[in-house]
Amino acid sequence: MSEAASANAPKPSSSVKLVLLGEAAVGKSSLVLRFVNNDFQENKEPTIGAAFLTQKCSLPTRTIKFEIWDTAGQERFASLAPMYYRNAQAALVVYDVTKPSSLTKAKHWVAELQRQASPGIVIALVGNKLDLTNDGGDVSEAAGAAQDESESAQNGEEGAGEEDEVQDAVSGDARKVSTREATGYAEEEGLLFFETSAKTGTNVVDVFTAIANAIPESSLKTGRGTGAGTGQTSLGNRSAEDSRVNLGDRNAATAKEGCAC
Amino acid sequence: MIPWSSFVQKAQSLIDPANFNIPALSSPDHNPSKASLFRQQFRLPDSQNPLQEITADLVLPLPNSSANQGDGSRKVDRAGNTYTGRLHLSERFICFSTQPTSFIPSATASTSTAWTGQTHGTGPSGNGFVLPLSCIRRVERLHSASHVFSLALTTWNGLLNKQQEPNLVPQRLILQLVGSRQACERFCDTLKKGLREGMKEVDNLRTVVTDCYSEYLLSGAKGKGQDGNESDTRQPPDAGLGLIFRYPGDARKLRDRSKMRLWGEYFRENGRNATLIRQPTFHKLIRVGLPNRLRGEIWELTSGSLFLRLQSPMLYQQTLSKFDGQESLAIDEIEKDLNRSLPEYPGFQSEEGIGRLRRVLTAYSWIDPEIGYCQAMNIVVAALLIYMSEAQAFFLLSALCDRLLPGYYSTTMYGTLLDQKVFESLVEKTMPVLWDHLTKSDVQLSVVSLPWFLSLYINSMPLVFAFRVLDVFFLEGPKVLFQVGLAILRVNGEELLETQDDGSFISVLKSYFSRLDESAHPRSENPKLRAITRFQELMVVAFKEFSGITHSTITETREKHKGAVLENIETFAKRTSIRNLGPESKRLSVDDLGTIYDRFYETLYQWEQRQRVIEEETRRQERKRSQRLSMLAPPADTQVGRVGLGPSPTHMDYEAFREFLAATSKWAVADSPGPSGKEPSSGKSALWANRRQPANHEFMQRLYRKWATNPEEGLNLQNVVNGLARLKGSPDIMNNINYFFDLYDDSGNGQVDREGILKISEALLFLSRRGFEGTITATPSVENLNSTADRDHAENSLTTDEKFLGSVSAFIRRCFEYADPSHPENRKADQQDATAEATEKLDSFAIGDDDEEEDLIDVDDTKPASSPAPDATAQTAKSATPESNSDDHNRSTSESANPALDPNNPLHITLPTFRMVVLADELLEQFFESYFPQSFHLSDHPHPAALAASSSMSSNLTTFSNLGSIRSSGLAAGSAPVAGASGGIVPPGKGLRGVLDNIVSDGIRMAAEVKKRMDEAQRDLERNALSREEDEDEEDDEDYPRRENTAAAIPGGIPSWGAGAYGADTERRSIVRDADRDLLEGAEVLGGGKEERTSLLDGKDDANHAPRKVSGSAASAKDDGSPTARDGEVISKLVEFES
Repeated sequence: MSEAASANAPKPSSSVKLVLLGEAAVGKSSLVLRFVNNDFQENKEPTIGAAFLTQKCSLPTRTIKFEIWDTAGQERFASLAPMYYRNAQAALVVYDVTKPSSLTKAKHWVAELQRQASPGIVIALVGNKLDLTNDGGDVSEAAGAAQDESESAQNGEEGAGEEDEVQDAVSGDARKVSTREATGYAEEEGLLFFETSAKTGTNVVDVFTAIANAIPESSLKTGRGTGAGTGQTSLGNRSAEDSRVNLGDRNAATAKEGCAC
Repeated sequence: MIPWSSFVQKAQSLIDPANFNIPALSSPDHNPSKASLFRQQFRLPDSQNPLQEITADLVLPLPNSSANQGDGSRKVDRAGNTYTGRLHLSERFICFSTQPTSFIPSATASTSTAWTGQTHGTGPSGNGFVLPLSCIRRVERLHSASHVFSLALTTWNGLLNKQQEPNLVPQRLILQLVGSRQACERFCDTLKKGLREGMKEVDNLRTVVTDCYSEYLLSGAKGKGQDGNESDTRQPPDAGLGLIFRYPGDARKLRDRSKMRLWGEYFRENGRNATLIRQPTFHKLIRVGLPNRLRGEIWELTSGSLFLRLQSPMLYQQTLSKFDGQESLAIDEIEKDLNRSLPEYPGFQSEEGIGRLRRVLTAYSWIDPEIGYCQAMNIVVAALLIYMSEAQAFFLLSALCDRLLPGYYSTTMYGTLLDQKVFESLVEKTMPVLWDHLTKSDVQLSVVSLPWFLSLYINSMPLVFAFRVLDVFFLEGPKVLFQVGLAILRVNGEELLETQDDGSFISVLKSYFSRLDESAHPRSENPKLRAITRFQELMVVAFKEFSGITHSTITETREKHKGAVLENIETFAKRTSIRNLGPESKRLSVDDLGTIYDRFYETLYQWEQRQRVIEEETRRQERKRSQRLSMLAPPADTQVGRVGLGPSPTHMDYEAFREFLAATSKWAVADSPGPSGKEPSSGKSALWANRRQPANHEFMQRLYRKWATNPEEGLNLQNVVNGLARLKGSPDIMNNINYFFDLYDDSGNGQVDREGILKISEALLFLSRRGFEGTITATPSVENLNSTADRDHAENSLTTDEKFLGSVSAFIRRCFEYADPSHPENRKADQQDATAEATEKLDSFAIGDDDEEEDLIDVDDTKPASSPAPDATAQTAKSATPESNSDDHNRSTSESANPALDPNNPLHITLPTFRMVVLADELLEQFFESYFPQSFHLSDHPHPAALAASSSMSSNLTTFSNLGSIRSSGLAAGSAPVAGASGGIVPPGKGLRGVLDNIVSDGIRMAAEVKKRMDEAQRDLERNALSREEDEDEEDDEDYPRRENTAAAIPGGIPSWGAGAYGADTERRSIVRDADRDLLEGAEVLGGGKEERTSLLDGKDDANHAPRKVSGSAASAKDDGSPTARDGEVISKLVEFES
């Protein structure tokens, strides 16, 4: 990591085009709304074509300005999607943890992106509506669990999934897609993986931060610094109550970074 | 089946064969029909057709003078405005427009829509009227000095109310026809007829009109003088949610009251709703914005949806009650969005508003299932519902989807994408600098503009302004959306030139929209100028600066981009669906999948088209009957089936599947009308060049049932891909054999019974009847090495097809030999015979091979390919002649050999047996290894499996090439399939080929015959059971072999072959024998029973016993040496499939 080398240079800011894809009503727009406004609306107008929003995400080493394209989820809008994921550097493929078909659709989107989108696109698989499951009840705990899971996704462990199934068996919550299944898939395809709740805010910011960290420096449009660490481990420190990205990073923002390489 | 195929034939006869892909139906892109242009111009329902047209002057009474004019035939001199234009008559409407029209038969989109260009926004119909004939109360002929025909029309205007309006002057307009007497009379005759019909619809008119706020407005006006909203005792008609939840915007600021007053005046002078006459004020009144309570009604009128409602006023309610309680995908989707449609409007926070929205969207999804529900429709309908009743919104939505926004909400949204392309190209044309900037900074315009079009600016601009755009849009059509869009960019041009990315581009526009109500010139000294809002400025720019954007501009630009857009969508759809086909599909190459995809949908498309033609035909016969539903259904001249255009059928039934197979495999093409004419030159292009009548064979049905997850529903792409993937996806011969066996394992218990075996053999003949395309090579290599030169010669002169016939008959025999009896005791008898038969087989080898070659050549030279097949009995008799000798011979030695044939002893073969039998025969082995999978032609690129297969038979190919050279010298016609040529079908005109086709098809017929005889024999058997108990075995024995042999004897059955019949037949038999040898040894090794099949049908054969015996022994003499030579090979094969 190169943060140590950073001096007083202003943090480089770069914009990242991010596209949200997924079945209708899985909560794409709500995720964005939570991320951008830290807000939640029960009745969000369906997205026509796509909605465009921006939000900054401040990392220790740089600031990422997300240009978020929130696409319509209805099946027939799929043919419009290429218009939106064109040149996207990151994608959030969202499914609903209470709806197995939405994961299938998510897989289709991942396949589509892998073939058609710009090479090197960072894809995060996000299971939303965690609040409808048992582990969504307690925010911090759930966040912790999801965190573990996302790590296990990276490490190839499968501990979290078992725990899940035990819970399901006990209380029969609305969860229909096990964490393990999604983790396994994400691992196979090399995706970032999170389970979130746009309603409670669980993990929402973490998703975007993880993406911000995963964007390779080389693909940043206006990035001046080159040596910024892209390690995803820095995520681990971010706690669940960091519901606002700018807030959470205020401390980090003081630590300046420089060009190490 | 039969009615279907006759339907299909009928359909084909209706279709011009020259351009099959373009159905006989008129398509909208090229030369729209005169009728559709006419409907477009006057916004008439699809049921209307132009019947008469004539030049005429429309004379409108002066408002003031009209009051004292009363009725009677007054002089027309005192009339007010006079317009000259064209008068049109359709079944139910009389229309007048000052705009020139050109409904000449050769009219194209550009010429016939050019008039809208000239109007520059004054509306599609110019000044004039569109009157339903039911509105006309009376027509009088006036005596006019200047015109031969001068008609005075009195309408029902204002008279349909229950309450009499005071001071109501009957609306009266005068039409002076200009034209020859005949033309005028013709016009009047048609008008008379129409009027008579129209009288029946006055009740409809009454129903429709009472929902119009204008009626209420005018009738209420009596009491209060002005707009008496609450003054009347009568409840006002439903003018939308706005009546309950207030209309958006500040009514005072919108000057709603004075607008209302102006409209009231206009109505009084020019008629209201259905009887309204368009004069220039009409367009002006619309431009300044409609008053809230009249907005819905005017939208309905200008969009033409009023006429739809008039046509079937109760359709909305009927649809709702008809489908009450039913569920659909669309309904689920609608439910999801109900709470999020204009949620900021109070009406949609209430159950009342949401309920209305739900009902309208649901009803529409039922009457137009192809569209169902598309997000954005919720927003549009929500907006409509603020100003109009549910029924009005329902019909207006229909007009939107069908005519104003064609293809916008379809499942592929091609209309949306197309109009984005059109918009982009208009921007490029009108604002090149901005366009360059956008291109350079990589801003994709459509990303921004798409929601503008899709939701008609409703969720882009503040509602009040969006509704102003809609006011004009409904009058002037889709071009308004483009004009406004261009104006938005123009007004913000400078700021937009400074943006560098999507984000800033969008935010510039966002802030612009939020400030539309502000002054456009806030700093201007001129207070008038200062009063102009940004929105007004926008409208001026849109309709002045971009007045050049006309309907024809849009139509032409759409035409230009349509192909590319559809192609894009189709590529996307194809890519996506191929990718989503699941793991099974990975066994096929991407090219193959693409080919399957294309062919699948092409088949469905063509199938659909033909069915439409049939439907059209039926509809023509019983027209009018289903008028109500067809009225709202998408216009008949939309192209269906093309994937890019929207929902296409996803499942093919068996009939369509046959067509698919016919396009995939040669064997699936029907034999009629004669094999030589059907021979395609080569390859895929030929397969598609002319449609082929698909065959209908039991095998195809089995394939269909095997592939379908639900045969009732049909096959979807996934089923077809999975089916083909299993067949072609692995180079493993075992896989193919297993698959084939499975097809016939009806009970699913791993057994195929006697019937099944025969069916398999039929299928083998069926599949092979068009030759092997070089995938199978009969290699007599072993024989070449091991047997006498004579026999070599004979073998070489046979074609693969002929040999394959032998293989199939051997297959049947072996199957029965090795079949497991369902009763164990039969087994013993089998075994006893094994040895006896073994010797016998050898004896009967290569019967009469001496003269074969010559005979074949003979045939080739002298007989035309299309020699008609004789009837089955004749064949049997003939073929029996040469055969019977060996039958007899065999009978003597294998008398008790055949319990397998005894229907009382059911038997079956298992998969291992089947495999063994297949592998025992070189040709069958090749059949399953290469021909069968390869006979399904997919992409032109050979896929890995096929390559593997062909390499595995490289040795065969080598010998084949040797053989080929021999043959080319021997048989000048070169009828042999050429190895390696994919789809290398032997070209027509080669005599032997045609003969072979006959042979093979005869073979199939004979197989059926055999089966029939088998059944007969069984009946005989049962009859004789008591009296001939002792002989039974013997008789059985004879029965079956006879059958088998008949099948084998087919070639000889063609009388025209003359001497050749004998030769070919015996030749073939010799292969049978030859191939049998393998098995024979195998049989010995296994100790299994074996029987010689001979043809012993009945006593008729007796006469031939002697000669046959002779040739049989002759053959045996020659074949002595060969069996042992193959021992080793056969054993190893047997070991292989035993393990």
